[in-house]
Order: sequence, then C-alpha cells, then structure tokens
Amino acid sequence: MQNVLTKISGEAKFELLIFLALASIPLVFSGYILFILPQYMLFGLLAVSLSILWGLTGIISFGQAGFFAIGAYAIGIVVKSTFLMNSAILGILLGIIVSAVIAGVVGYFLFSAKVKATYFVLATLALSIIIEQLAKSQKEITGGWNGLFVDRISISFGDLLEYSLFNDIPMYYFTLLLTTIAYALIKFLTTSNFGKILRGIRENEDRILALGYNTSIYKTLIFCVSGALAGFAGSIYGTHAGFVDPSLARVLFSTEVIVWVAIGGRNSIIGSFLGGILVASLANYLNSITPEYWQLIIGIVFIAVVILFKGGLAGGLEEIYHRLKSKNYVSARNP
Amino acid sequence: MELAASVLLDTTLITLTLALAAFGLAIIYGLIGVINMGHGAMLTLGAYFTWAGLQLEIPFVLSVILSGFIVGFIGLLFEHWIIKRFYNSPYETLLLTWAFFLVTTELIKIVFGSDFRTVVNPYPGSIDLGFYKIPTYRTLICVFTAFVILSTGFVFFRTSTGIKIRAMIQNREMASLLGLNISLTYKIIFGFGCFMAGLAGGLVAPMLSVSPYMGDMYLVRSFFVVIVGGIGQILSGTIIGSFVIGGLETIVALFSDQVIAQVAVFFFAIVILRIRPQGIFSEK
Repeated sequence: MQNVLTKISGEAKFELLIFLALASIPLVFSGYILFILPQYMLFGLLAVSLSILWGLTGIISFGQAGFFAIGAYAIGIVVKSTFLMNSAILGILLGIIVSAVIAGVVGYFLFSAKVKATYFVLATLALSIIIEQLAKSQKEITGGWNGLFVDRISISFGDLLEYSLFNDIPMYYFTLLLTTIAYALIKFLTTSNFGKILRGIRENEDRILALGYNTSIYKTLIFCVSGALAGFAGSIYGTHAGFVDPSLARVLFSTEVIVWVAIGGRNSIIGSFLGGILVASLANYLNSITPEYWQLIIGIVFIAVVILFKGGLAGGLEEIYHRLKSKNYVSARNP
Repeated sequence: MELAASVLLDTTLITLTLALAAFGLAIIYGLIGVINMGHGAMLTLGAYFTWAGLQLEIPFVLSVILSGFIVGFIGLLFEHWIIKRFYNSPYETLLLTWAFFLVTTELIKIVFGSDFRTVVNPYPGSIDLGFYKIPTYRTLICVFTAFVILSTGFVFFRTSTGIKIRAMIQNREMASLLGLNISLTYKIIFGFGCFMAGLAGGLVAPMLSVSPYMGDMYLVRSFFVVIVGGIGQILSGTIIGSFVIGGLETIVALFSDQVIAQVAVFFFAIVILRIRPQGIFSEK
C-alpha cells in the first residue's frame, strides 16, 4: 500500500483525497448539503467538460449549457413516456448520445473547414441559443416556458434489485459513483496518447498536422466527448433537480461554466471540477447573504483571474507547491 | 407593386436599424480584431443613460449624444486599463469583454433596478406615402444610420486619418515604423466603437422597452451581421450583413413564427461561418 502511494503523483493523491472527502461527507453531515452537493458535483463535471476543451485543446465553447440542457430534457422526456422498461438508463444514454452526435456534427462541420478559434466560440454561442429557443417553442415535447417535471428515477437490474433514488443519500452516492467513473474516464483520456495529441494541438496545431495527424478529427472527437460529458451531467441533473426549463440552455449559464473553469484553473481537470463545486456553492452562499451584489463580486473575481492568474486556483496552488519544494523554482507559466 | 414597395421599405428600415446596432461592433472587430462581447451591455448602457437624461429633462437628441460620449469614455477607460494589454491574445479579450458585460449588467441592475423603463418616442406619427405609412422616428434613425456609415466611409477613404488606419490594418509593424502611433490609434478606434454602441443604444431605446438585458438580443445578431457581411468590410459589409440577417428573419417569420425565424437565422449564420468565413459576398 505504501509503495503504491509513493508511486502515484501528487496530483493523483490530491484527486483521491477529494473523492474520499466527497464519499465521507454523508457520514458527517446531513440535511441540505446532502441534497445540494450532488448538483454541484454535476456542475463540476460540466466544468470538466469545458476544461478538456479549453485547457487541454485550446478551444473555448460558449455552448456547454446547451448540451447540459439536452441531457436534462432527454431524461425528462424519456421518463415521462413511461412505456419503457428501464427508462432511466435509456434517458441517460439518450442524453449522452444526442449531445455527442450534435457536438460531432457541429464540430466536424466547423473544424474540417479550419474555422478560426474565435469563430468557433460564436458558433457555439449560436448553438446554445438555438437549443434554448427550440426548448421554449416546442411546447408539446418540452413544456415550453413552463418546463418539465422529472421524477426521481429508480434504477432496476432485472426484477430482483430495484434501487430508488428518491431519498437524498441514495441519490448522493449514485451521483458520486457516476461522477467518479466519468472523472476517471476523462482522466484516463487526458493522460493517453489522445490527450498528448490534443496538448500538441493546443501548443502548435500546424506542427501536429505536419506530423501526420488529422487535427480536425481530433478536435471533433474531443468536442464530442465534451458534449457527451455535459449531456451526461445534465441528464443526472434532470432527475436530481426534478425540473427542467429552457433557462438551463441560456448563454448566461454557459458563461457561468467559463467562470468556474477560469477560477478553478483551466489547465487542471481537478481544478476545474473543484471550481464548479466551489464557485457554485459560493454563488449560492453569496446569493443568500447579498442577493444584489453576488454576481458583481463573481464578475470582478473573474476579471482578476483572467488578468492576473491565468492558471486559476489550481495554477496558484501548483506554484506554491513547487516554490516550497525548491527555492530555485522559476515559474514556467509566468516567466 | 404597392406590396413590393412596402416590403422593400420595411426591409430597408430593419436593415438600417440592425446596421446601426452592429456598427460599433463592426468597427472594433473589423479594425482591431477584438471580439467585443461587451457590445450588448454598451447598447444597454446607452439606452439607460438616455433614459436618465430624459428624467433630468435634457432634450432627447442631446441625451443620446451625451450617452454616446459617456459610453465611449467608459470604453476608453476599459481599453486603457485592461484591453490594451491583451491585443495579441484574442481569447483573453473575448473573456474580458464578456466580463465587462457581466459586471456592467449587474451594475445596471443595482443602479437602475431590473424593471422595465420606457423612453417616450420623441417623434411620434408617421409619414404617409398613400399606400404605406412609415413611422417618422424609424425613418429618421435610418437616415441617420446612412449618414453615419457614409461619413465614416468618407473619413476612411478620403482623409489622411483614413489612410493611416488602412495602413495600420494592412501592416501594423510597418505602419508603426513609419511613425504611426499604433496604441493611440487602437484607443481611438475602440473608443469610437463604444461611442457608436452607446449612441445606438440611446437611439433604439424608444423602439424597445429598456431593461438590463435588452442589449443581448442585439449582441449575437450583430456578430452575425459582421460575419455574414465580412470582417473588415466595415461599410458595405455591415449593410449587406444587416440586410441578409434582418431580411431573412423577416421573410422566415412571414411563413412561421418568430422563434423559428431566429433559429433559422442562427443556423444560416453557422453555415456561413463554415463555407464563407470571409463574408457572404466578399472576395477572399
């Protein structure tokens, strides 16, 4: 055990610690926090879905909320039409697949033409508005402005085992389990060769192209993964919140995700994940003490991060860690 | 014939109003390459300042001009303190101007409140052409827009300032070596773009209800006006882009509802981004 622990890196230890802490929270706390924390974990996943685009590949998307909303609507619509067995799992799968397909089609359409990075931002902005408008207007399917009520699902494995997520603790562990699996998969992806190529694209796309990699395929694939992850988080969110409405797809929500990732640290997966959890909880807390000023405070923090701390919280912590380890350490990010 | 004429007039009104709203964005995007996500907030600010001016019993025209100058000044400060350090990183300017939007919208909510305000139409009534009535105020706006675009064109193509700006777009280093003050020119262009946004916000205020999010509707459409028209094609591009975006929305809305029309326009704009990123009619 000791050997294993010394072998894994500092970051992996930190990640393990975070997930262990999340797993032990229901042992210590009870009440509201157990209800709300799963929601924040899903926001954390949504933040991760942006961070693999922005930090890893160097693409910004203003449309993550659109995919999140697709996931939430998918489970809502599937669960409502109760003619199916196992509709919950089907709903989650549908959320993932629809998001991934839309991301794939839009991504390939734009990347294959080498559309400029800033144009891609505008296209995703438009995509999220299209999704919002469709959610508002297709009343028969989505409930229009009024939204859609979604029941808490129960997961059944055959006839023997039925696991209802109606109570907070089962929902908490269900969300935590899925979040952990999704996180681990993403982590695996970023450390694989695929992740290395994406980093290469971020640093110098022409060079990767010259090495013989079809960069537009890689960018499309990561956008697909990102969309799928956002859709997945959205589908769990749908059943957790019990309610879906068009405001989930609004541009302001997409940009909130950008704020989480910027503050958490765009280059770090765990930083973004924590950014989602912490900034969303902070927003909730500030909203209760100063409802008028909290968005202003978060906006100013966002500006400060973009100007002064490009690495966000994770980058800052990393720097402190390295400074402590060696006095001669020269910051690589801010020379 | 009369129907065709009235559709033509209607389209002209929509095109020029949209062009007015998009002009400030086209200036900043086309000349210095900054995607100003704060453009919508600047329009909103202009509308609120105009409203406030009217509350202080300042005449409408003066209020609008003052709003333009105040928003232009705010833009200059923003450029001077923040944006000028990030001209070489498009993502950072995009994020910072978006942050400008977030902060400004919150400040507007704190100072003015979230409820709707109305700016009374200073020139009610309409011009009767026999077969069609054109609202007087909208006509004036369109005449003004045409004037602004033409005079910007004059400055751009017929004065030495215009030559300097065009030289700067073509080759920044070379223009700078020849003695052109690049950072000052950028500052002036950014300030002018913000001034135009504030002015446009004040001018469209009587046609809409003034609320903290009123600029959003124009923000994304303005981007597409600029993209469809072609970046850098500030004058003809803005008009063509507004015509395509505004016209398409009007035509689609005739056959279906407003929401579908917007979806169709955004979809069209994404397709244009892909197949003709240099603008719909411009040469490469």
